[in-house]
Formats: sequence, structure tokens, C-alpha cells
Amino acid sequence: MAKLIGGVGTSHVPSIGAAIDRGATQDKDWKPFFDGYIPAKKWMADKKPDIAVVIFNDHGNSFFLDRVPTFAVGVAENYKPVDEGWGPRKLPDFKGDANFSWYFADKLVENHFDPLICSEIEVDHGLQVPMELLFGHPDNWPVKVLPIWVNTVQYPIPTPQRCWDMGVLLRKVIESYPTDETVVIMGTGGLSHQLQGSRAGFINQEADLAYLDGIANDPEKYRNMSREDYVETFGSEGAELIMWLVMRGAMDKQVNLIHKHYHAPASMTGAGMVILENKA
Amino acid sequence: MADIEDVIPVTPLFDRPRALRGYKMNKMANGLGVPANREAFLADEAEYIDRYDLSDEEKTAVMQRDWHEMVRLGGNLFFILKITAVDPTPITLVGAAQAGMDHDEFLKTRLGKEL
Repeated sequence: MAKLIGGVGTSHVPSIGAAIDRGATQDKDWKPFFDGYIPAKKWMADKKPDIAVVIFNDHGNSFFLDRVPTFAVGVAENYKPVDEGWGPRKLPDFKGDANFSWYFADKLVENHFDPLICSEIEVDHGLQVPMELLFGHPDNWPVKVLPIWVNTVQYPIPTPQRCWDMGVLLRKVIESYPTDETVVIMGTGGLSHQLQGSRAGFINQEADLAYLDGIANDPEKYRNMSREDYVETFGSEGAELIMWLVMRGAMDKQVNLIHKHYHAPASMTGAGMVILENKA
Repeated sequence: MADIEDVIPVTPLFDRPRALRGYKMNKMANGLGVPANREAFLADEAEYIDRYDLSDEEKTAVMQRDWHEMVRLGGNLFFILKITAVDPTPITLVGAAQAGMDHDEFLKTRLGKEL
């Protein structure tokens, strides 16, 4: 059976990709941010997972407001990076795993989740940036991806509990998938930020730092928070952090916090990451 | 509570009233993800905007790059930011407009930047 090798939580701020594209990763503003991902890249290179499940939200690039899936799952063999308005980025296509993706989609529906199932779709910075941060810029990505989109833009967004429950199921799906492949789960988004409203530019460093420890050691707290609590604590767009709960729900109760990194601000956002491994 | 069209709350949720109010403007802005639309916007902005049946006040807000007003009228940053891809504008400037601050003050007090 397939095996879960760990969970990653990470920001996916588009300015990170823009900084990479203009060669600014070693600039004063950005170096401390990128330096914190060096140990994470090494961890990933050592672990060499076969499949990366990436949980992220679209930002008006693959979906507009004409149709807003609460959850969507990609079942394609190939995902192109989408042009978000600034022109296409120089990134290789992301290879999918249609067999694993359809297996997951079947299990989701059997277990009363009802996602949109996407056979032909492009992926925006929500998936691109975490892949760059953890895998660098190879000619071809060393993993296949299973994209899971979560609506965090138009209300109602799903509850933290629902994200967690999907993670619990994802774990069962991985461990019943009849190959010997290894899987990493990447929950993305956050940390605290708010783009609109008079509180724009809101960053809550204290809450961000508490979250990075808490997602490992006290995840119940974040599962039990309401969506309104997330918005109040982390800002309107900081509520993206509910997507890390899909990753955390898939992990054991007891985990080791292998790596943690935080930097603020990255553009207008508190940014950072964790790597978790099951203790046993 | 004030009407959504008058006041932008501290933390506006993009809920049903806002999504409906801003639908056409967001659709216009989102269209800029397509290269041909970017060219059309650059060639004749008013003509491009008119394709989306915006009201006069929406059109004016867009053409004046009045970010605060665009959000007041239901614009959502994820969509209207595509205007900044065609007419390069730092996101922090858009943020400062939401906060009602000048840019430096915003960078210092909200983002903790040393200037």
C-alpha cells in the first residue's frame, strides 16, 4: 500500500514566485524568507516522495465567480501553470496521477464528500509556489501532483472541521491505495494577511507563531475555531490557513515538528512553513 | 449597520451581497487573465470596460484606479489585482488605499517596514 511520509504546511504568496522570476531571492527583503526553506528542500530531497497532494485555493485564475466549487479535485495527467495576468511563468507543467486521483475521487464520494472533478484545468500560484519552495526549479518536477482546490474566496467557505475531515479520509485513501508509492501532503496558504478593508495590511505575528507550533502540538484548537475566528485572528485572507487542516487531519495525533520557519512581511503577508512527521 | 455600498468594513467578507454587487467589475478585471483582453484594455480601456456593462461609477473607479472605491463597489482584490498586471501598481499601494493611509505610513505601521 502507499505510504504517507509527512505533512508540509506552507505559504503560497504570489510575490514569492515573482521574486524568484526577477532573481530577487537573495535581496535584503527576501533572503531571510528563502533561507528558511533550505532545510525543507533538503528534507524533501531526502524523502523523495512519489506523489504530492497539494491543497490550495484558486485566486480567480481557474475558476471565476460564475462557478465556485467548495472542493475540487484534479484527475488530469498534466496541469499547466496558468497565466494570471502577468504572462506565463517559466515553469514546467505539473504531472498528475490520474489513477491515484480517480481513486481519491471515488473514495471521497463514497464517504459523502462531493467534490467537483476536474479533467482539464490549469493551476495558479497556490500550487506553483509551494512546489517551487519545496522542490526548487528542476527541468521536470520529481513528483506527480494531486491538486485539491478549496474555496476560501467567496462565502460560504468550508468549515475548519470539514477540511480536517477530508484529511482524515485522505490518510485512509493513501493507506489503501494498492501501490508502494510514497506521498507527501502539502497544506498551503496564509499565514496572517488581509488584502481588503480598512484593516488591510493586518499581520498578526504572535498568532502566526502560535499557529506554527499549534498545528503540530495542539491542532484541536485550530480545528475547533470558527471561520469567523480565523478571519478575526489571521485576517480575511489569512483564513486560508484552514487548508493546512486537511494536511493535519491526515497525520497522527502525535507528530514531530521537524522544521519550522517564519518571516514577516513577505509582500503583505506573514509567511512561513512547517514540516511534520508522524511520531511512530 | 451601514449599507455595504457606503462603507467598507474593517474586514469585509466576500459574501452574497458583495459578490453580487461586484460581479460585473470583477468579471471585467478577471478577463485580463487573457492576453487579448489585456491588449484591448491597453488599446482602449473605456471600450474594453464597456463590454462588461459596468455602471458609470464603477467605470470611473476603474479608470481612475481608485482602489478604495472599487472595493466599496464590491470589487474583490483577487480579481481587481489583475488590473495591476496591465497597469503595474505595487500591491502595497492598493493596500494603503484600503487602509486610508499614505504608502509610507502603511508600510511602516501595518507591515513594520523600516523606511
